Formats: sequence, C-alpha cells, structure tokens
Amino acid sequence: MDFSLNAEQQLLKDSVDKYMSERYDSEQRRSYLAAPKGFSAAVWQDFGNLGWLTVPLPESEGGFGGSVVDTAVLMEAMGRSVAVEPYLATVLLAGQLIANGDNATLKERYLPDILSGNCQAAFAYQERRSRHQLDAIDCQLERNGDGYSLNGHKTLVLNGAIADVLIVTAWLDESIALFAVPANSAGVHCDAFRLMDGQGVANVRFDAVQLPRENLVCAGAGSMALIRRVLDEATIAVSAQAVGAMEYLLKATVDYSNTRKQFGQPIGKFQALQHRMVDMYTATEQCRSLLVRALCSNSIEQGDVQTQAQAEMDIAALKAMVGKHGRAVAEEAVQIHGGMGVTEELNIGDYLKRLMVIDSLFGDQDWQRRRFATLRYQ
Amino acid sequence: MHATYSPEERLFQDQVRSFLRNNFNAELAARIREPETFKAATIEWQKKRFAKGWVAPGWPVEYGGCAWTDTQKYIFDGALAEAEAPDVPPFGLKMVGPVIYTFGNEEQKARFLPGILNGDTWWCQGYSEPGAGSDLVALQTRAERDGDDYIINGTKIWTTYAQHADWIFALVRTDTTAKPQQGISFLLIDMRSSGVSVAPITSIDGEHHLNEVRFDNVRVPVANRIGEENKGWTYAKALLTHERTALSGIAYCKQVLNTVRRLAADENDDGQALLASPTLQARMADIEMELMALEYTELRVLAAVAKGGAPGMESSLLKLKGTELQQAVQSLQFDVAGLYGSVLPSTGLAMGHDYGDRARREYMFGRACTIYGGSNEVQKNIIAKFGLGL
Repeated sequence: MDFSLNAEQQLLKDSVDKYMSERYDSEQRRSYLAAPKGFSAAVWQDFGNLGWLTVPLPESEGGFGGSVVDTAVLMEAMGRSVAVEPYLATVLLAGQLIANGDNATLKERYLPDILSGNCQAAFAYQERRSRHQLDAIDCQLERNGDGYSLNGHKTLVLNGAIADVLIVTAWLDESIALFAVPANSAGVHCDAFRLMDGQGVANVRFDAVQLPRENLVCAGAGSMALIRRVLDEATIAVSAQAVGAMEYLLKATVDYSNTRKQFGQPIGKFQALQHRMVDMYTATEQCRSLLVRALCSNSIEQGDVQTQAQAEMDIAALKAMVGKHGRAVAEEAVQIHGGMGVTEELNIGDYLKRLMVIDSLFGDQDWQRRRFATLRYQ
Repeated sequence: MHATYSPEERLFQDQVRSFLRNNFNAELAARIREPETFKAATIEWQKKRFAKGWVAPGWPVEYGGCAWTDTQKYIFDGALAEAEAPDVPPFGLKMVGPVIYTFGNEEQKARFLPGILNGDTWWCQGYSEPGAGSDLVALQTRAERDGDDYIINGTKIWTTYAQHADWIFALVRTDTTAKPQQGISFLLIDMRSSGVSVAPITSIDGEHHLNEVRFDNVRVPVANRIGEENKGWTYAKALLTHERTALSGIAYCKQVLNTVRRLAADENDDGQALLASPTLQARMADIEMELMALEYTELRVLAAVAKGGAPGMESSLLKLKGTELQQAVQSLQFDVAGLYGSVLPSTGLAMGHDYGDRARREYMFGRACTIYGGSNEVQKNIIAKFGLGL
C-alpha cells in the first residue's frame, strides 16, 4: 500500500501547478473564455508543447502511457483553476476511444494531430432521451454500398461545435458501433451552446452522412465495453477536477474569513462560521480519500471479477460523493463570502458552476448512488 | 499509488484469519456483549491475542508491540471486522500504555506494561470532572505533596468501566497558582487505595458503563507520577490525539453494516426483502460510501504519521467523522430491527428476533460517542484553529 505519487507523477504535478499558477488566475481565465472558441489557442498549444495531451494515451500510439493517476494529477490542477480547455472531450473521451479502438488507419489519421494540439475532437453519445443510459439512442447506421449512411441527433456534445472529428455512437445491426465522423462531412449540422461553467457543447444532427467503412472505430460487443471503460476513466478524471475545485474553495473561503471584518472582528472568529468551514474541510478530505481509493483500484490490472466490481463500486462512490459534497462545499463558499459570493466580481461562482456541471456529467449523485447500491446490495 | 498487498501481506492476512477462526467465535462474542460476562470474556479474548503476540499493534517491539506496518494494522482490523470480533478496551493498550512507554521511567515501564499487555490489569481514565468536561483544563482534583506521597482530593466523572478497574490514570492539579495548563500532573492511582470510592451512573441504554470516582484524602506515592510535575497536560495531549485516532470506529461500523445487511435480507418489506428497498439501499449506500472514504482517510493519516508527521487535526477529523458514522449505523441498525428494537429485555423470554436488544443498547449508548473524547464541537474548534488557521 502506497498513496504517494511516483517521481514522474510528482514532476508532472510540479509542472502543471507551476503553469496554472502563472497562466491561469481568474482574470486570465476570463480572457481565455472571451476568445471565439471559448478557450485560448495559445494555452492549448502550451498543453501540447508540455506533453500533457499525450499523458493518458498508450505508448504504442505515441502517448505517454500514463495511468488514471497521471490524468488525475492534471485534472486536479485544472479543477483548481476551473480550466476551460477541452482536455476532457478531445483527449480523455475521443482520443482514448480512437487509441483503444481497433482501427489503425484512424489512429494514424487523428492521434498525431490530437497529441500535438492540432486536432480537436468530441464524443457524441447522448441523445435527448438517453440521460445516463448509453444504449437509449436512435442514431442509426445503414449499409450503403461499401460504406454506411448515418442518421440521427446527438445532444450535449462536449466540444462538439469546434471538433474536427466526432466519435459517434449509433446502431449497426443489433449492436452499438462507434464511428469517426469528420465534422466537415456533408449532412453534419451543428448548433453551438455554452455550459454555465464555460465549456462548449453542441447539438449535432446527422442527415444521411456518408461514411466509408474505414471510419469504423469499433463495432460489436467490444464497443460497449470500450465506451464504459473510457467513461469510467473520464468519471474519475472529472472527480479529480472536483477535488481540486473543492480545495481551492476551502482555501479561498478561509482566507476571506480571516480578512473580512464585521462586528469589529474577522468573521472567521465566529464559531458558527468556523464549524461550517470545518464541514467543508471534512467533505473535501473525504472526497480526496475516495479519489485515492478509486485511483488505487483502477490503476492496476483487474484480474478477477471481484476486483473489477470493487473498482467499479469505488468509481460510483467517488462520483456520488463528489457530486453531493462538491455542491455543498461550493454553496457554503458562496454563503460565507456573503453578498460578494453571489457576484461575478469574485470567481467563487465559477467554481460553483463547474462543480454543478461535474455533478450532472456521467451520472449525477442520485444515479451513481443507485449504481453503487445495485453493485453492492444485489 | 496502489493499495495492493504483497505476497507477504497476503500470507499475513491468511494467518490473521486463521487465528480468528481458531480463537474467536459467536459464543465468545455474545459473552463479551453481555454485561454480566463482559469483563471475564474480554480478558479471555485479550489473553488469546497476547499469547499470539498480537495485542499491541502500535507499540514498539521492545515493549511487547508487534512492529506492524500500517498495511498490517489495516489487514488486522479488517479481519477483526470480518469475524465480528471487537477490539479490546483501549484504556490500557491505546491510552495509558503509550504514555508510560513514552514518558515513564524504567521502573514504571517494568511495573505496568506487562499487566497492560496480558490483560491482568484493568485500567480506567480519570480526566473529566463535574466542572471540567469539554473544558478539561478547568479540572480541580487536587494533589498536595506530603513527603513521598501526594494527597488526592476531588471527583472524576464519566469514568468508563471504573467498576472493573484495578488502576486509574488521572490528571490532577499540583499547582493552583500557575496557568491552568501548567499546573497539572499525570498520576497512576491504585483503585484499591484507601479513600477511593466508585458510584455507578446508569446511562440511557439502561446499563452501567459509567461511574463517578471520588478521591477522599487518597495517598499516592510520588513514584506513580509520570514524567515531571506540572507537565501532565503535555503528556495528556499526546495521548488525546492517539485516543481520537482510536475512536474512529471504522471496524465497528463495518461490523454493524454487515449485521444490518444480514438482518435486512431476512426482514419482510411489503412482500420483498427489506434489503431490496430502494430507500433503505440509498441510506445504506450513503453511509457505506462515507465509510469507504473514512477508511482511506485513516490510511492516509497513518501513512503521513509513519513518514514522521504527528497526527494533529487529522485525528480530530477521524474522531468527528468516525463518530458521526457510528451513530448513523446505529440508527440504521435500530430502524432495521423495527419495533422489536424498543422491547426491554425480559428474563428468559425471547421477543421477535434476538437482535432488538443489541440495536437499542448500541443506539442509546452510542449517543455518547459524539460527546466523549472531546465533544465533536470541540473537535471542530480544534480543526478550525490549528488546522484551518481561523
């Protein structure tokens, strides 16, 4: 048993912490958000130059071959600064699907550009009726000569509006297949939106989009397993982001309480507020513990069914608690910052919004709690 | 970062499980639970662990400890929980023992440590007083020097198992003129000394765990003082952090949850097993997920301590969250027992299932856990001041 980072992970942490502290204060963040794409192209290029875009991808595909621990180190730092770059969509979702699929042509076509920062990607898997059920979809592939024709709608596609390539789930015969759809294909229609935390999303319509056979990422029983694995790792990653955000909020709230004076003394001297900040602290520590737990069980080879089930339970527990406590910590941070906490002058609201988005992503606290209970009690 | 066991650790886990299979069973568990047989059964259980050399995981090996790694301690606690075996009372092994081997002299170590280890000496803790609860430093019990003795006068309260105890470790005031923290000494007092009297206090579980201990001109040799005169507060504080870590009760919570699962699988809930109820599952899941977190919080604290950090506010965190969870599982256990949980025991008669009495008693006495060892509100004050810097 060992909960410390190894030397490489510590170097990665030092490097990302340093970069974020120099390049990502709340003013800088707002200037990045104001760019046309909703993030800074220069920052994204820095991510590429620093090698961060390669971290989770397998070495065989030119990646760094990092584990969920390495990804968590990056995501936690990004959470601490509420980063707006589409790391999740491009690297952790679409990049990982392509890299762990079984199509060498697609890997060659997209991965070098993703790793160097020259390709944006997205995973289009949700539809209006899906919520968190992966196979509650209507997108359909039909054979058309040597290729396929794709019809249907996807919603809430993270990074969908600026992605160069979309990885799309659709029915092919009796199972769900994954297809790479170049965004500039004829018949792809995209409506762009922003989430409240700054991330870009899109609703995408596929209108008889013609796809060659070579665009198939994965089909048959393997595709669902691939999707689940990638989403599980992404779930750990956004939870790491949440822990970073919670730690920031705790520190900011304590600092504010020690400087803001009312009734002739710093408000941090009031026991009622002290105890609420202690609750923020215990909630944050508990979430960090579940993060460590999930990282440990999900960074090893899962030999048997039992360890696999345990690893899945750890993910469900982590995400449920991060959803519950993340929101609670952010709401308390707003409360203790008083009137200022509800203004956009301070960045506290940015963290509340990110933590609420994280709760809704990949199964909210109610859904994850039920997932945990099903695994544990049935 | 990993939580896997090495082959040696797996072997150790097998050895612990096999030891528990051979030395602990439901019959012994039942005798430990019953007030009439509690003391004898507890000593029997301690002696079995002592015979194996597995009674003091945290002690240095030179004093009879196990020199276990944190992982081994974790494996051992986990196996205890699986076997539904309680730990032995903490007063000797987790509280006064470490103070004696850390701050005591050689004569004191030789005299007291063997009895603590083998279970021959039963200890209790003399800290709280009627006027000194959360504000422990306000304690008034006086110790006045008279030649080679102190003369003790005063009252200690909430003294768990004083009715069983051979010895009490007590905080007494040796200087009334100094600042409150600087006039306290740490004394070991023989409960059979003339002038010691023990009065029972019945708690809301209907049982007698608690006592008031009075000292009426009790003569205690100066040789029974640990460390320097007036430095007792320092030694006690060192002990308090140990105590709070010991109070997290994770293994106990796991045991109760196991029992609740078993019981809920048998109870009828509108035609299906109570365990299948979505509301019960949601409630259990919330508790269990917090417990999974706390387990790793404790492991992280232990790992930090092993690297040289003293448990400071983290021990308060463990006490705080651990006791909240103990009460949560006790509430759940009571609710799953249904109205049978409210039935008072009646000699020789079984009512419904045999589980209700335990559920009631544990719930009722469990209300104390967020109060003792420094109330949870005091723990929050400690974290706020020393941890968060408020």
